[in-house]
Amino acid sequence: MAIMATPAERLPDETLLAGLGAGDAELSVAFVRRFQGLVFGVALNVLRDRNVAEDVAQQAFERAWKHAQMFDGRQGTVRGWLTRITHNLAIDVLRGRSAAPMDPNDLSLLITSIADSPERITVANDSAAGLRRELRRLPPEQARAVAMAGIYGMTARQVAESEGIPVGTAKTRIRYGLQKLRAALLPEDADDE
Amino acid sequence: MSELDDMDDMSCDEFAGVAAELALGVLTGRERAAALAHLDGCESCREQVRELTMVQDELLALLPSQEPPAGFESRVLDRLGLTAPGQQPSDAQSELLSDLPGQQPSDVRVLAGERADRADRADRADPADRPDRPDRPGNRPPNQPASRPPGRPRGSFSRRLLAAAAVAVALIGGGVGWGLRDATAPASSSAQAALSTAALVTSDHQNVGSVFVYNRSPWWAYMTVTMEGQGNATVTCQLEMADGSFQNVGTFRLTNGYGAWGSSPYTAGPGAILGARLLSANGTVLATATF
Repeated sequence: MAIMATPAERLPDETLLAGLGAGDAELSVAFVRRFQGLVFGVALNVLRDRNVAEDVAQQAFERAWKHAQMFDGRQGTVRGWLTRITHNLAIDVLRGRSAAPMDPNDLSLLITSIADSPERITVANDSAAGLRRELRRLPPEQARAVAMAGIYGMTARQVAESEGIPVGTAKTRIRYGLQKLRAALLPEDADDE
Repeated sequence: MSELDDMDDMSCDEFAGVAAELALGVLTGRERAAALAHLDGCESCREQVRELTMVQDELLALLPSQEPPAGFESRVLDRLGLTAPGQQPSDAQSELLSDLPGQQPSDVRVLAGERADRADRADRADPADRPDRPDRPGNRPPNQPASRPPGRPRGSFSRRLLAAAAVAVALIGGGVGWGLRDATAPASSSAQAALSTAALVTSDHQNVGSVFVYNRSPWWAYMTVTMEGQGNATVTCQLEMADGSFQNVGTFRLTNGYGAWGSSPYTAGPGAILGARLLSANGTVLATATF
């Protein structure tokens, strides 16, 4: 039987990652093309600076290339793995920069964009739909606290300073906000909360 | 008793107060140390953190994509020392590849069974793998969430948490994990893709994995196996050559029936691979694949 050739654009994410790790040019190009919007999007949403975001996005691809063989498909998807890589790098950069005050408008826009806008996740994705729905239901102060901590990597103390509230209150908002999101994703456990 | 000792004795109720911050990677100082100490001996709290971390995964997945600036793709490839198909590999590529820690120009890289120590290796060179976050890529501790099935639409969060079997099924379809890196071969210069895939099937027609063969320079092959009945058995992969012979390309150990294997390079030329097969330690054919 003849060996069938498969266009790189149609290969599974894991295979493209394998090609990136092996230094294969064609598969590496396909990998970068497939994920550049994702990677740059995560970096830009966290950093809100296109130049810095591009540098972080490039670092993310470099790290994916370095650590391709460490990827374990049982622990997550390539997409999730790459998102984590990018987010970690972006948070590192954010924490290393001189503390710029959080612009309330930026935070509000971010929450709106992840709660309402159609993005790369398919409409049929019930997890994403449930999460967006719960985000819209959260008290705004809890949504802000979760976004500050979960997306911008801010500690409870930093959230407290930004919001002008006691640290204990910030911790409570992060805790209850995240628990409510978890309950939305785990409906069978919702009664436990 | 010191203050830290007191905190080491954090109760589950106390832990619940900081679990969200720990899961999000924003817990610091003594609270973090005490929380981690508590996690060492509390499976239920580890599960709690695992679930909360997965919520963050879902949250990050909602961040909208953004089109990068023009030329981004070229700059990334240049940074990696990779060249676009049809171009000559740059000197930087050779330097980067040869500098990879732990990379050797071995003929066959057997990776299955190495997953337990991946956490350590993942830390080897990257300062951005921060020690203060429980969510480092490639280094998820036991408190990290189960995965969403690769290559498939994300389903119910709860299903994914509870159904490890679903993950195993997904492994068959898309191929997961990965592992090979060729430290010596140049980038391919052919413009035509030549990756072949085939299902790994048992004699009773059970689909138990996938085989990928990249049939041009740098040659490589990749296999995933999910055979729960094999436990931690050692298995051997062979490629079926055009002349009817079988080329032994690697032996690896399954972990709870799961394994992923990669090799690079092998010496066969284009069109020379007809199939692959998986053998048990005593030579029994466990499954075959036909391209």
